Amino acid sequence: MAALCSEFGDLVQIKKQLISVISLCKERGLVHSVKWASELAFSLDPLPKNELPPPTFFTEEDAQDLDALGLAKSYFDLKEYDRAAYFLRGCCSQKAYFLYMYSRYLSGEKKKDDETVDSLGPLEKGQVRNEALRELRVELSKKHSAGELDGFALYLYGVVLRKLDLLKEAVDVFVEATHALPLHWGAWLELCNLVTNIEMLKSLSLPDCWIRDFFMAHMYTELQMIKEALQKYQSLIEAGFSKSTYIMSQIAVAYHNIRDIDQALALFNELREQDPFRVENMDTFSNLLYVRSMKPELSYLAHNLVEIDKYRVETCCVIGNYYSLRSQHEKAALYFQRALKLNPRCLGAWTLMGHEYMEMKNTSAAIQAYRHAIEVNKRDYRAWYGLGQTYEILKMPFYCLYYYRKAHQLRPNDSRMLVALGESYEKLSQHVEAKKCYWRAYSVGDVERMALLKLAKLHEQLNESDDAAQCYIIYIQDIFSCGEQLEHAEVSTALRYLGQYYFKNKLYDEASLCAQRCCDYNDAREEGKALLRQISQVRDQTESSTTDLFGPLSSNNTPIRRVSPLDLSSFTP
Amino acid sequence: MASVHESLYFNPMMTNGVVHANVFGIKDWVTPYKISVLALLYEMTTSKPIALQERRRLNKLILFVCLSGMLPSNSICCETPVSDACCLLSSHTLSLNRLHEMADGELKDMEYFFATLPTPFSAIDSEAYKTSVVGLFMRHMLLAYNKLSFSQVYKLYKALQQYYHSHYSQPGDVQVGLPALAADDSDMDLTSTEDNVGERMEKEELDTAPLHESELSRGPLSQKQAEYFLARQAYLLKNDENKALKPSALQDELNNMLKFNPDFAEAHYLSYLNSMRVQDIFISTHSLLHYFDRLILSGSEGKSNGDEGYGRSLRYAALNLAALHCRFGHYQQADLALQEAIRIAQESNDHVCLQHCLSWLYTLEQMKGSDSSVLTEDSVKMAAHFCLPYLVSLGIQSLVQQGAVQGKTAHELMDALKDTDILHWKHSLSELIDISLAQTTSIWRMYGKSTMAQQQAQLLLNMNSLEQVNFGVQQNNTEAFAVALCHLAELHAEQGLYGAVSEVLKHLKEQFPPHTQHAKLWMLCDLKIQFDRAMNDGKYHLAEPHVTAIAALNKTEGLYRKAQVLKALNRTTEAYSILQRLQLYCEKTKYTEMIIRVMLVTAELHWESSGFATALPLLLQALALARQHHLQALASETILHLAFTQLMLGVPEQALGVLHEAMEPILAHGAVMDKGRALLLAARCQMAMAGTRSNGQKHAALGLAVQSLGEAAAYFSMLDCKERLRDVHYLQARLHHTLGQTPQRNKCAMLFRLLDQELQAPGAAVAMRL
Repeated sequence: MAALCSEFGDLVQIKKQLISVISLCKERGLVHSVKWASELAFSLDPLPKNELPPPTFFTEEDAQDLDALGLAKSYFDLKEYDRAAYFLRGCCSQKAYFLYMYSRYLSGEKKKDDETVDSLGPLEKGQVRNEALRELRVELSKKHSAGELDGFALYLYGVVLRKLDLLKEAVDVFVEATHALPLHWGAWLELCNLVTNIEMLKSLSLPDCWIRDFFMAHMYTELQMIKEALQKYQSLIEAGFSKSTYIMSQIAVAYHNIRDIDQALALFNELREQDPFRVENMDTFSNLLYVRSMKPELSYLAHNLVEIDKYRVETCCVIGNYYSLRSQHEKAALYFQRALKLNPRCLGAWTLMGHEYMEMKNTSAAIQAYRHAIEVNKRDYRAWYGLGQTYEILKMPFYCLYYYRKAHQLRPNDSRMLVALGESYEKLSQHVEAKKCYWRAYSVGDVERMALLKLAKLHEQLNESDDAAQCYIIYIQDIFSCGEQLEHAEVSTALRYLGQYYFKNKLYDEASLCAQRCCDYNDAREEGKALLRQISQVRDQTESSTTDLFGPLSSNNTPIRRVSPLDLSSFTP
Repeated sequence: MASVHESLYFNPMMTNGVVHANVFGIKDWVTPYKISVLALLYEMTTSKPIALQERRRLNKLILFVCLSGMLPSNSICCETPVSDACCLLSSHTLSLNRLHEMADGELKDMEYFFATLPTPFSAIDSEAYKTSVVGLFMRHMLLAYNKLSFSQVYKLYKALQQYYHSHYSQPGDVQVGLPALAADDSDMDLTSTEDNVGERMEKEELDTAPLHESELSRGPLSQKQAEYFLARQAYLLKNDENKALKPSALQDELNNMLKFNPDFAEAHYLSYLNSMRVQDIFISTHSLLHYFDRLILSGSEGKSNGDEGYGRSLRYAALNLAALHCRFGHYQQADLALQEAIRIAQESNDHVCLQHCLSWLYTLEQMKGSDSSVLTEDSVKMAAHFCLPYLVSLGIQSLVQQGAVQGKTAHELMDALKDTDILHWKHSLSELIDISLAQTTSIWRMYGKSTMAQQQAQLLLNMNSLEQVNFGVQQNNTEAFAVALCHLAELHAEQGLYGAVSEVLKHLKEQFPPHTQHAKLWMLCDLKIQFDRAMNDGKYHLAEPHVTAIAALNKTEGLYRKAQVLKALNRTTEAYSILQRLQLYCEKTKYTEMIIRVMLVTAELHWESSGFATALPLLLQALALARQHHLQALASETILHLAFTQLMLGVPEQALGVLHEAMEPILAHGAVMDKGRALLLAARCQMAMAGTRSNGQKHAALGLAVQSLGEAAAYFSMLDCKERLRDVHYLQARLHHTLGQTPQRNKCAMLFRLLDQELQAPGAAVAMRL
């Protein structure tokens, strides 16, 4: 911690670095990195005038290329990539070289997208490719082995390699790029997409720079190591980035991932106050609102976003969520489709669309959507879970086990997968496995508070009354201690069972307590009263019998009052 | 990875969440291949009339060519490359000049070509009339061509150029093709070229093997190529695994294919099959489920046939999953999956699927080792009711197998097999014919009729399969073939023809490489033969390592062999305890053959402790069992043992009487070893009886004994079984001595001496073994 503080101690220095990298990226047309760096720079205190970094000085080469570069950059900004590349072809400065290669790359990408529409039939659908990539790779690798590439060019080389599916080489190049120019966020972000597990992350040798902490935090979020991610972000905030909207949004997303809905909602609300026209991450926000069924808020958000920009993926997702909440699933699916048309890599939309089809009972379309989601990202546990659910609806409990297991593998500590697994096992009459799953679900922190109830019912079915009672007791304690009112809470069921259980075991005090509590609930009132009557009858009988037979003994035969395992008096429902 | 989502990026035809393969709803696309077909058709319609017979052949060819172009994109058409090739060849001579014009000329040449195509509406009396096949094809093509956008036309032209040059600019072809073209450019008519086309086509059909290996390395395959590739590999996997690509290479190809076309579900299925080859449960499960996830989609598209399709694939998905777990020996999982399949099939009244489930159910029960004959019978009845001949005869075969083990009479089994055979030939179920023959071989072998077994095995191996020969591969690496070959190897080993055995095993090794499914069969067979050889030669130290190997493949067999080795090494107590255990186990699993064998070895153990009287009841029991189950070979062996025991108990007359009963079957069907042993035993009995007779009779009896010994010696020398040969020579020498035939005696004594020196180890007492 101390090391971190000292590292970040010099916020002024950091700010200077950011300002310089902003101008570097701007000259090269790397807009997203500029945006990120600027956001971060904005969150830091402004520098006094004399502290501002001097305008970058020109080398001889730069001066030579200045005019060509200016012209090319203007073409580049207007998306006339080929034209930009043409005017840059003879330039020799690093900056011009990067822009030259970058415009060729983008031109190839643009043509590829255009080609896709014009394809000659379904056969070619998957075969359209960026023709420029190979040439770029050859040229860049030549320069790379000669060691002539600077940080930006290395980044471009990495991107080219990744597009050619040469992932291993790409990782190496990106690591090199981060060493050459640690401040360029784009390289880190690309690296982030290529790292698939924590071992791989640990094996990378990354430059020791403050930006590395941002990367690690981002990486932890991606790898679902939320606790570590939150810690990292917290220390970043303490180090002085408290005003950064980027960090705030990341933390909110992290809370969303661990289903800490209140925290996440609060953060998102704050974020919207600070940055009201922000569209990024708003789909996550809408997911949260959806989970909480906050219709008015979601509606407001949707309308607001439509006003800002209706052709954004996030906007479409928000609207989709909105319709879904209003049970207009066809419309919702339509909007998710639109989101996918805007960006087919939008993983969340595939999954959400799958959910919508599920709602519409169109299982085959749902399976298709989920499969697409998995194709985009194999680690998408929601899609695996959704597939499992689909097959469960199709009444194939054994078949869906595989999918639930996959989802569970990806999120070992998520109770929902465990409960789903348990239910499937229960349907297959694999009671031992089912019990294990439910118990594990409870142990990892059950979000829906259903695991214990299911476990108790399972025990009840198997006539393991002691275990069932134990589970019901923990369940009731759990429900009352969490304080909030849950819709599906079946406290009455638990109480009813416990009442009968104590009655059978002749613990009449506890039984009557449970029966009394039963009377608080509409559905169990009658039974509660009946039980009370029974108890009083039995008590009368025993009392009369004891007085008759054991009259003289009763004084020293008073049963020692056993401590009730269920001391409900302290709880207020 | 990147191409996966980008392929979907601009796909506007997404209705109902399903991305349709045909982006703009056009079924046909103009491809360079189809342009060459068009060129061919054009030549045909404009050329002068030809002879009727030639015309017929040409029409057949054209129908084939057109259809392969017009088939819906997701139907597997294996012959595409053939037609591709033959089209190429035909267009090569017929319309190459036109293609050449287009490819080497400019875009306007192609445009001109399409403009000059006879419109099916105007040409009334030609083949291109609008309702003819050719006309339909041309109309399709024209329509598709006219729908192309500006840039698409240019792309098509580029593709045509590439197509043309990739096929014709190869050095060999240029020399052959182009000059030839130049030569008969002027007088080109259909009749002269047709024969040529036909011949080349046939030739092409015969050797298509090297075709795609070179193609594959060229990057993405077209849909047709991919389909052909999959069909071919799947066929090879089923029929001759060795000719298919290596598992890793195949997986690479599949991954590549899926990268460019993620919607290609069949590739997932092949990947499932492929990973089954290498016993990879992880990938095979994954691929199987992925395949069915995809299939469910395509099933729902074609809703024309009611709720068939979608629900159907769900049922079969569960069934396939059960099969997969069965293959990997996860019986509980398989059971659960099967129950699921049965439940959904019941809910949707799919009797066919239910029958499949039932047949899997009894298979599963059998694999688990429980009795499933009732289930099997039910399955047969129901399958017969629903007219599913395959399942019927599969069930009957399964019943026959169970019946054979349980000791049903031979004529019942053979009748049943005959009935199924009629069914097979009626429905040409070639796979089941193979199985039936292999089963007959096994049954004959079990009954100890080696000649019949051999005949059946040879019949299977020499039979021409009914299945058509695709890709130059005949179906011959099924389990049936492996079983038959193994029997053949063992039969040869029994006759001491070890050269032939090693030939057969070598073939087996090539045909069923060690990692494949049926390899265990020949491995066990090989080990058993080696073990028996080592035991017969008395090289027990060589036999011992085989025991562990056998035990790894088959536990029961391993235990039995272990007991044999222990007995041979005089570790009697250990051997006895193992035999006891084995007998209990076999009685539980009703493995009759093994029970009898165990009893025989136990009896031999009793002999070693001179407990001949105690061995008798055991042997009688074994004999009764063997007779009850019609196991002739084992019965004869038991009689041998019985006779020996009686000899030892001092009743050689009885022994000889019993022995005569077994002599005939042994000499007719038995192994060489058994023949030798029987004759040796007979000689010994005769010797023992001669002792009690008068002088004249004695000489005659001894003469008989000498004769028997001579025959026995011949059999033993065939097997090169030196220990027994030594015994025989010893006895021979003694007999000759008694008979006063000194030269013969000396000769035998010398032979004995030689062998004794060679063997060094003092043999077990001659009297003490069979």
